[in-house]
Amino acid sequence: MTQPVFVAEEVRYRYRDQPVLDGVSLVVRPGECVALVGRNGCGKSTLLRLLAGLDRPERGRVLLHGRPAHAMRRRDVARQVAVLHQQLPPMPGMTVRQLVAQGRYPHRGPLGMLWRPDDAESSGALHAAGVAGLAGRRVDTLSGGERQRVRLALALAQQTPVLLLDEPTTFLDVRHQLEVLSLVRRLHGERGLTVVAVLHELDHAARFTDRVVALAGGRVAADGPPAEVVTPSLLAEVFGVRGRVVTDAHTGAVRALADSPLETT
Amino acid sequence: MRWRWAVVALLVAAAAELAVGRGVDWPHLDPLEQRILIELRLPRLTTALLAGAGLGAAGLLLQAVLRNPLAAPELTGVNPGAVLGVLAGMQLGLVPADSAAGALLAALTGGACGGALMWLLARHGSPVEVAAYGLLGSAALAGVTTLLLAYQPSRFGNALRWLVGSVDGRVWAHVQTAWPWLATALVLAWLCSAALGVLAAGDGHAAALGVPPRPTRAVALALAVALAAGAVALAGTLAFVGLVVPHVARAMCGSDLRRALPAAALVGATAVAGADALAQVLTVLVQSGPAAQRLGVPAGAVTALVGAVALVVVARRSSHVEVS
Repeated sequence: MTQPVFVAEEVRYRYRDQPVLDGVSLVVRPGECVALVGRNGCGKSTLLRLLAGLDRPERGRVLLHGRPAHAMRRRDVARQVAVLHQQLPPMPGMTVRQLVAQGRYPHRGPLGMLWRPDDAESSGALHAAGVAGLAGRRVDTLSGGERQRVRLALALAQQTPVLLLDEPTTFLDVRHQLEVLSLVRRLHGERGLTVVAVLHELDHAARFTDRVVALAGGRVAADGPPAEVVTPSLLAEVFGVRGRVVTDAHTGAVRALADSPLETT
Repeated sequence: MRWRWAVVALLVAAAAELAVGRGVDWPHLDPLEQRILIELRLPRLTTALLAGAGLGAAGLLLQAVLRNPLAAPELTGVNPGAVLGVLAGMQLGLVPADSAAGALLAALTGGACGGALMWLLARHGSPVEVAAYGLLGSAALAGVTTLLLAYQPSRFGNALRWLVGSVDGRVWAHVQTAWPWLATALVLAWLCSAALGVLAAGDGHAAALGVPPRPTRAVALALAVALAAGAVALAGTLAFVGLVVPHVARAMCGSDLRRALPAAALVGATAVAGADALAQVLTVLVQSGPAAQRLGVPAGAVTALVGAVALVVVARRSSHVEVS
């Protein structure tokens, strides 16, 4: 049995005295493609930050390859794990190429970045994410969808075996949503990347990942293959909607059809 | 191309600084005039270049790692603290009035304390709040400085050097103390510039890319204090240099710190050398009147005047200064 990439054990985390995660346990093995789903504010993004070692859990522990993630050297983590954040920070004056080239920092260090500011890896990442045409543009002039794909290029430039994606499809139109998710799925297949993605759309989770983890009430409410997890009872318990689940004859994936919000009890 | 213009501007400013002023009649120099050139004007020029480079680079570092386009050594407590340090040291007799090393040490102590005080007060504030605190802090420190001066008003003329900023009367002894310090801090800052560029884009972004935000920011702030205090010990506060020069540098070569940092040093050096050349022209004009004054026009008066205008121009033209 290979060593898991991530192990979260009974993780608790509070934000401003509100419990966000209240005993979450999760094991992610190398080469898995996992979707994190749940209602707004259910702690999906928090769990992602904890997995990346960007925060420390209040109780319990998060291990990256068997070591506590938040206690590792930041550069060692960054060589293993790339995080696609929900937002790009506003960087006045910085160009897309400069920003994506920063993705090489974990591998080259401060001095390496000085001698050779650009390289093949960051150019490759620009192409893979479909933003090579934007390379010379300033980041603060991009549209929401363009920024989204630049975020992906930045994460790809890091060339890590693990990819953590926080809502990689927000701001994107349907076509770009499918492009981004197909690209991630392809990289997962070609390079054997381990992917954990926070996804809003259950349909995307069902179609592009192998395992769906649903969070509710600060705990893992369901965990398994999409066809087993995405059920009418999950829609009711986790998302608070009445709905049906059908199998798409074309893709073979399940699709959730939400009909109406349940009365809150 | 822009670099070429920047270098040309530097050379022009340096040549002007050497050429203007009293005591030398170009182009035929007698031995005395040659000594004036070598022992007074060259160290004066070098002082202007060093102080300008230090303030420009310090301002850029502060603006980048605090992500605040209004951050500057003079608005973050560093310069007022350094001035207070030097003057307090001299008035209280802790630092000999002619000791360059003593002034450097006093400026560093004061600058670090002033910067730390403002950091404690305003670090969670918005850019504008930080600038407002900076103004308040500067006024308070200037008040303390004035109190100190009131005890020994005879030294006021000497104190003006630091309060306003001047490179007049600086000789090689001052340069020898200051340049290794400023050059080391500049080189260190440049070696860190790639990491600082990552940090400038955001704490979460930096952490995810392997740049630990807090220690990295601490190093950058320490280097900014070292550069600004080193410049203040040499030439006083020189208003607006640390605030405006970084914006010019970024307009010149973008926000990539690996290029913007040397550019800020270059532009800062040009600005102060040019300002002092102008100050010397003004001094000649002022003193040609009937009631000849003993005090020359300090370079800091020129940077304050020109800098204020330049800041308005930069603020209107550049989107860097949007402080939302």
